[in-house]
Amino acid sequence: MELEEMQATWSEMNDQLEHQRKLTDKLIMEMTKDRYRNKMGRLSRYEGMGALICFAAAILLLFQFHKLNTWYFVVSGVFTIGYLIVLPILVLRSINAMRDIDLINNTYTETLIAYVEKRKQFLLTQRIGIYLNFILLAVSLPVLVKVFKGKDIFIADSNILYWYVPIMTIFLVFFSSWGYSKYRRITASASKILQELDDTKN
Amino acid sequence: MQEDRAFTELIKRHDGIIYKITRFYADDTDSQKDLYQEIVYQLWKGFKTFRGEAKISTWMYRVALNTALVHLKKKKKRGHRVSLEGVVLKQEEDDPLLEERLKILYTKIKDLGDVERGIIFLFLEGKKYKEIAAITGLSSNNVGTRMARIKEKLKVQIIKK
Repeated sequence: MELEEMQATWSEMNDQLEHQRKLTDKLIMEMTKDRYRNKMGRLSRYEGMGALICFAAAILLLFQFHKLNTWYFVVSGVFTIGYLIVLPILVLRSINAMRDIDLINNTYTETLIAYVEKRKQFLLTQRIGIYLNFILLAVSLPVLVKVFKGKDIFIADSNILYWYVPIMTIFLVFFSSWGYSKYRRITASASKILQELDDTKN
Repeated sequence: MQEDRAFTELIKRHDGIIYKITRFYADDTDSQKDLYQEIVYQLWKGFKTFRGEAKISTWMYRVALNTALVHLKKKKKRGHRVSLEGVVLKQEEDDPLLEERLKILYTKIKDLGDVERGIIFLFLEGKKYKEIAAITGLSSNNVGTRMARIKEKLKVQIIKK
């Protein structure tokens, strides 16, 4: 199908659509209000729930912080609490940044560029999160055992390290490689869009 | 109240634009309805601040195309969350021949990039290069160059088949 045929087909469709009147005032306002309500409740979705769980865990750890009685527990505790508060905030901010692209005043190409840039920022945050997970794996276990069981796993005769560390390492390696391949795929698609925009300038 | 009435009148007068964009960008009926609702919502959001610097239809094309571009990219991984029962789309008459040709048209434009897709849509809508430039943010010359490339691509598709 060449362009001229496309134009003819499009024009035929236009003729058929022109005289149809299916929308009523009530329907239009209902559609708008329904969508508005949905946007207002957007934090209840899974990313918001994930953040709330992290904040609750951080608060719980803060209340138990006095149980961390050696320097390495204090350092690990600070990192764990920091991770549970800062990372969800960064993720939520980057998601909101994508939602806040100005669809009303931007031109089509401005929207495309804004989308690609914000998507890249979001993926960078996710990537940082993946690396931090490895550190969290190492530091959160002693903190949690100390807080909830009162044991120092570096001193107490505990075999937890023998099964926890290998299992979590395997899980994290798989999770990270999945995350990284997704990152590369999306970055490649973003580059393709930017290349298309560059081509247009020529 | 008066603003709401002006808005609903606008949508009723130009709902063909929204419908055609949803068919151009979304594959299945649910995605089309979802996109339709999102476009109406974005237009409603922007309507209060629309100052009439551009033609209202130009403004509508811009907002609707921007919404289609971003909403569908995000939607791919999220699925639907809003009730779509209240969304009523227009429909072509029962014309199998036209339906078949439209299907071919939509398949062809899927191979184009995001920018080209926006340009070809506006071209099919009968927009002049100057107006396409105003909506896309490209210069008229760029639109012309891009249109020539699109024509070439469509020809190559035919030769390949």
